[in-house]
Parts: sequence; C-alpha cells; structure tokens
Amino acid sequence: MKAEYINPFVGAAVNVFQMMLGVTPQRGQLSARKGIFTSQQCNIVLGVTGQLEGQIIIGMSVFTADKIASKMLGTTIRTFDELAASAIAELGNMISGAALTELASKGINCNLSPPSLIRGTNVRISTLEIPTLVVPLQTELGDVEINVGLMERAK
Amino acid sequence: MAKRIMITDDALFMRVTLKNILTQHGYEVVAEASNGREAVELYEQHKPDLVFMDITMPEMDGLQALKEIRARDPNAKVVMCTAMGQKQMVVEAIQAGAKDFIVKPFQPERIIEAVQKVA
Repeated sequence: MKAEYINPFVGAAVNVFQMMLGVTPQRGQLSARKGIFTSQQCNIVLGVTGQLEGQIIIGMSVFTADKIASKMLGTTIRTFDELAASAIAELGNMISGAALTELASKGINCNLSPPSLIRGTNVRISTLEIPTLVVPLQTELGDVEINVGLMERAK
Repeated sequence: MAKRIMITDDALFMRVTLKNILTQHGYEVVAEASNGREAVELYEQHKPDLVFMDITMPEMDGLQALKEIRARDPNAKVVMCTAMGQKQMVVEAIQAGAKDFIVKPFQPERIIEAVQKVA
C-alpha cells in the first residue's frame, strides 16, 4: 500500500481533533501491520469502495474513547451509551470523509460506508489480503491509532 | 414564526448536536430522520421550512432523498451536511437543488448562517 494513501487520513485526523476536541495530536512513526493484529479496545471501522478499496480502522482504549466522547458531548459520560458510541463513530466518519475529499482532489474517487464501532479486549482483526499501514497519534486525551488498509481496484 | 426544521442524519450524535444548535437559536426542530427514506416520509408529514441532510446513510442516501423530496415539492429547501466534501458530490447536490453544502466538522455559526440564508 502506498504511504500517500495514509497521509490524508492523518492530516484529516489532526484537523478534526483540533476542531472538535481542541487538542493537537503528535504524529508517531508509520509502520506496517501484519495480516492479523490485535486491535485496540475501541475501534471505529469504515469501509471504502471506489478506485481504492479496503477499510479504515481507528483504534483507541475505552478510557480514551470515554474522554473523547465526553469532550464531543460537552458532558462527562458515565456509561458508554448509544449517544457516546455515535459521537465516536461520527469522529471516524469526519476524519475519513475529509481524507476521501482530499484524495478526490488528487483524482482518486472513493466512497465511504457508514461507520461501525467494535469494542472489546483482545479482538483479533484480519484484513485478509489487504496490507495495512498504521500511524499512532498522541493526544492529551490518549493515544489513537489510524489504520489504513487500501488497495487499488483491479482494472 | 419560528422556522420549522427537519434534521436527517444516521448518527444520533449529529442529530443531537444539530438540534441543540438550532433550538438554542430559537428554531423549532419538527422532525428527525435517521435515513433518506425516513426523511422523504417525514417531509411529507411535516412540510418543514428547511431540511438538513446528511449524505452517507443506510437504506437511502441523502442525494437520493434530496431528489425524491424535490420531485414531490419543487420548493423544498434542503441543505446538505456531510463529512464528504468531494467536488463531484457538491456539484451533484447543487444540481439536484440543494441550497447549501456544509462539510463536517463545522462551527455552529455555519449552521445558523445556512438557516438565515436559505429558510
């Protein structure tokens, strides 16, 4: 997978975090994922179709998810309810939407599926044959991982 | 009379956020739809002054809902509000009769500006 495909997601994540949460993430080292990896505790999963195909997985601890949802909702959440889940999912939607907008401006047109949220410990994720790149972001609210697994569609 | 507004978004968080912004500014939210099909049905029932419409939604997306609503009511005022800001999508929405196009994330003022301009 080309690194140029992940950069728009990292850039979009930084912008969305600044605008929605008022924090500026620090970008960590880019690395490649193996075919199967153990996910974070809370993951936003979005499907991508079009000229690129695959998925975006944005992972974080449940502690970080609670803090982010609290900030988005303007109130400290006590239980991670439907509204909190929706806030976290929407964060992923905004990041991925902005990234796909950026890719479209470079002539790469893709569409996004509605987000889903997966929570749990020791969840094993396999992206099958799609290689995945990951960039960790450090923020005041905790660490967030941006996993991007995209392939060019066979012509 | 307060403008009557309908919100369409599959994300509960976005519906709550939009509703808070609108009601704080004295507007009335008369209906909330979580997909395009619901939006078409609720539009018929409530005939709101303005609709906020997400694009990426299950069952029926916002562009299709925009077209169906405008086909039934050519005076319908619909503002798109979505995370997808591709030029092609903006052009398609405007051609289908959308009055404005807001890209998420947005500042609350952007929502109020759209209502004042359009409704």
